[in-house]
Amino acid sequence: MTTTQSIVTAGADAKAMRRELRRAERGGPSMSPGRRRAARRESVAGYGFLVPWLIGFLGLTLGPMLYSLYLAFTKYNLFKDPEWVGFDNFVRMFTDDPQFMQSVQITLVYVLVGTPIKLAAALGIAMLLNYRNKGSGFFRSSFYAPSLIGASVSVAIVWRAMFSTDGPVDNSLSFFGIDLGGWVGNVALVVPMMILLAVWQFGAPMVIFLAGLKQIPQELYEAAEMDGAGPVRKFRSVTIPMLSSVIFFNLLLELINAFQIFASAYIISNGSGGPAGMTNFYTVYLYKRGFADLQMGYASAMAWVLVIVVAIIAFILFKTSTRWVHYAGENR
Amino acid sequence: MSTIEVPRAEFLEISTDQPAQPRRRRIKRKTVNTVIWMVALLALTAIVLYPLVWMLFATFKPSSEFGQNPGLMPENPTVDNYVKVVEGIAGTPLWRFFANSLFIAVMAVIGTLFSSALAAYAFARIKFRGVGLLFAAMIGTLLLPFHVIIIPQYIMFNKLELVDTYWPLILPKFLATEAFFVFLIVQFIRNIPRDMDEAARIDGAGHLRIFFSIILPLIKPALITSAIFTFIWTWNDFLGPLLYINTPEEYPLPIALKLYNDQTSTSDYGATMAVSFLALLPILIFFIVFQRFLVDGVATQGLKG
Amino acid sequence: MFNIRTRRTALAAAALTASAALVLTGCSGGGAETAATYDPDEKVTLDLAFWGNDVRAELYDAAIASFNEEYPNITVNTSFLGFPEYWEKRQTEAAGGGLPDVMQFDYSYLRQYSENGLLLDLEPYLGNVIDTEPLAQNILDIGVVGDETTGIPTSTNAWGMYTNPKLLEQVGVEEFAGGDWEDYDAWMKEVTDAATAAGVELWGGTDWTGRIQNFEVQQRAKGEDLFTEDGEPNFTEEDLAAFWEQGDAVRTDGSVIGQQRLEEIYPLSGFDSALTASELTWDNFGAGYLGNLGTDFTELGLFEPPVTEEGAKDLYLKPSMLHSISAKTEHPEAAATLVNFLVNSPESGAAFGTNRGLPASTTALEGADLDPLSQQIADYEASIADRLGDAPPVPIVGYGTLEEKFRLIGQELGYGTLTVDDAVSQFFSEMDVVLNQ
Repeated sequence: MTTTQSIVTAGADAKAMRRELRRAERGGPSMSPGRRRAARRESVAGYGFLVPWLIGFLGLTLGPMLYSLYLAFTKYNLFKDPEWVGFDNFVRMFTDDPQFMQSVQITLVYVLVGTPIKLAAALGIAMLLNYRNKGSGFFRSSFYAPSLIGASVSVAIVWRAMFSTDGPVDNSLSFFGIDLGGWVGNVALVVPMMILLAVWQFGAPMVIFLAGLKQIPQELYEAAEMDGAGPVRKFRSVTIPMLSSVIFFNLLLELINAFQIFASAYIISNGSGGPAGMTNFYTVYLYKRGFADLQMGYASAMAWVLVIVVAIIAFILFKTSTRWVHYAGENR
Repeated sequence: MSTIEVPRAEFLEISTDQPAQPRRRRIKRKTVNTVIWMVALLALTAIVLYPLVWMLFATFKPSSEFGQNPGLMPENPTVDNYVKVVEGIAGTPLWRFFANSLFIAVMAVIGTLFSSALAAYAFARIKFRGVGLLFAAMIGTLLLPFHVIIIPQYIMFNKLELVDTYWPLILPKFLATEAFFVFLIVQFIRNIPRDMDEAARIDGAGHLRIFFSIILPLIKPALITSAIFTFIWTWNDFLGPLLYINTPEEYPLPIALKLYNDQTSTSDYGATMAVSFLALLPILIFFIVFQRFLVDGVATQGLKG
Repeated sequence: MFNIRTRRTALAAAALTASAALVLTGCSGGGAETAATYDPDEKVTLDLAFWGNDVRAELYDAAIASFNEEYPNITVNTSFLGFPEYWEKRQTEAAGGGLPDVMQFDYSYLRQYSENGLLLDLEPYLGNVIDTEPLAQNILDIGVVGDETTGIPTSTNAWGMYTNPKLLEQVGVEEFAGGDWEDYDAWMKEVTDAATAAGVELWGGTDWTGRIQNFEVQQRAKGEDLFTEDGEPNFTEEDLAAFWEQGDAVRTDGSVIGQQRLEEIYPLSGFDSALTASELTWDNFGAGYLGNLGTDFTELGLFEPPVTEEGAKDLYLKPSMLHSISAKTEHPEAAATLVNFLVNSPESGAAFGTNRGLPASTTALEGADLDPLSQQIADYEASIADRLGDAPPVPIVGYGTLEEKFRLIGQELGYGTLTVDDAVSQFFSEMDVVLNQ
């Protein structure tokens, strides 16, 4: 089954659509003219609402995407016309490129360790903020502030200062008797440092969680309290299910973002992926191959390997989501 | 600080109203909880804000201190960095870069909200042939690292003779090319009980009316969230303007603040820090203003679900 | 804002200069346009792109203002970015078809853009529009790729050694008195030891085996450039292994600044931060060093690099930047006029000084007002005359990638995460890919 189809079946109104199709099949040609007219009207409305998106998708996104898929099977240095090389790029990737392998490893560590921590921090803080309203504007803004910083050399300077020898992180850890020295130049601690940078900028998922928490009707908590539920119980049986659609969104998007980590690593390492390749994350490496080394064919092949991997993960998430994600608008 | 005053005031006020003994104990516990909550949040805030405070102090360091003084306090504090950046860059005043960024960001917010909400409604609420496939395609656009589509897109905009205009930066926003926002709004719409739109349909309302009068008001938190993110992310976008804008007077801030650095000759890190910090202020203000609407979103209007 | 490229208005067919016929050969698909030459009355707009910071932008503005006094009908729209962004944008434009008319160009990209026909052959303009009198032949040769001249050097630089006299005085060590690479290592150790004794955080220098230029200097001392005229590698795995092994001693005895410390002070270098007393680098880095060191430091030492082989011609003059013209420009003659002004005119020399390096053109150099540091650089380049040989062939396509790879391997050697043997095989496999792309 192709990924496209898989996501289709898990897609937006998939369940409803399947129901509709089944009904249509059952009804077959004997489907009443009124129903058919209604269905047509729905289609017109659907595509009508989608007009801007369709123009953007067909006009701006689809073509370049397909072109990059084609480039994945070519040798292309941006200057001469692409030259078809079949699967060469993919073979080189998996058999003859130690940098690629290292890049995959550190990216996986970054994704698998960083994403859960970031989401937990975002959800935890969002719930803390939602707990009382006092000064919440101040706190919300403070917690979001780190996420405001764009990818400029200032971030590199600040972050290096935080994690250098005798910097604030080193000093606070030493206070607790943990003597790690500076993180910036320590090959073993660079990936953790990058993870902490990502966690520090947890503002986006936090705000989305907050918006989701605001959508939960207060009556549900009151009802749970009437039933004698404690805070843990309320969290498990009201917050989590009611927030599940937002958790699902954040989980999926943060995973995708983490796999595509680029700006912070690029800035911190000045585009080199150093020290010792420890910030040479997947997309950083892809970018270097494409634009610095002018191996756009290879870079495109790398991009599509990533697409396939992330698509499989997304597919699994969508599949399992039917079991744990609850939509108030679709639960009937 | 108000940390202590606020809970006490609440306690007093309520306690005079409700003198009953068990109630009082509960309120006391609530007050204790609030204090713990405050202290915990303040501690977390301090940690989270420290790097930003460091950055603020660093804007008062002369450029030469950057390699030599890693501490928080500048050894020779100076406002020269600000004096320098306020003068602008090579004849272009600083405010011009702010104005450019503001224009692009505001247009992006309008475009994204308009196009993403429409598309999201179609995906979440309308049953039509092909919806599943299109939804999958939309998610698919999130998965491809954007670096490999830069060049084909550049070629297209170049053919359309739109290079060195703001169109390549704004047009895509009006066409919902950022699937992130479409998907975000889809998730929120799917969380709205259908009772209301079904009632409206029975009354003969079409999709347009349901969208505008029922769905839009109910997804206000999602719209505010999208507006905030679009504004901030556009404000910070570097690659788009780098590729599409040639004229220095038309540069937005992220490009402008790089202009103080040249690895091949001299770099003014003090000025860079100062501009970076100034560039933060408008988006911080934007966030502070708009985050309030997150609070009085749906929750206060009440969901009869 | 749209870039308004003015259409060629109906020309009064008069006033053709002698070079008109020559110009035609440089103009692709000229067709019936017999008047492809620059007409002083015609209004022309040129796009000019350069890398640099706010300081350089102001110098360009000044130079163009004096250019416009002479050529009021040529409007020049400038656009500038930092070095990496500049090239990212150029690569995209090159692929998408839309390079600016006149570009500040880097030596390492010259071959690539030239061989793919993206740059205008300037041959027809040399000696008429572009004055070649003030430019030495070996300088003009630098911009020749194949049999086309696609770039004119604005300025030159040479490999050298900067030292920090104030820091040396502080720890009581004399300047490096010259000698071979081992002497240099011993001197760095002396500085580091003296600094340790004095309780100062200071090292003698950086591990010089991390820079491909030092390898090049040593290979050239043997009479071999890194790459042949045909772009084939001209060194063996043994050469490279032997080179990197020279760094083993300083890396282990701590007489050079450690990789960890260097990471912490990025984006500055050890020399910028007053943490090292010497640095082997291009001689045009001096102004940047002084700027980053701050007002506590007012002078630098500039000496020749260690000697590999007495009497060898191991150094050479490299263009610190060139000016090139897009092959697709609609106004080749006007563009060449601008290039000539930027390279040769005393006004340009006066405006830029040594911001772009030491002016390559004698007329521009005369116009330039040399500050003490610039004078020091000029004197330095004169003093190494007997070590200066012919410049190597224009760098191969992908040289930048290899240079960067070399630097990264140097880092890993510094960390000890890579053995010399692994480093050599990694470098050669990278070179394989680069040469076959």
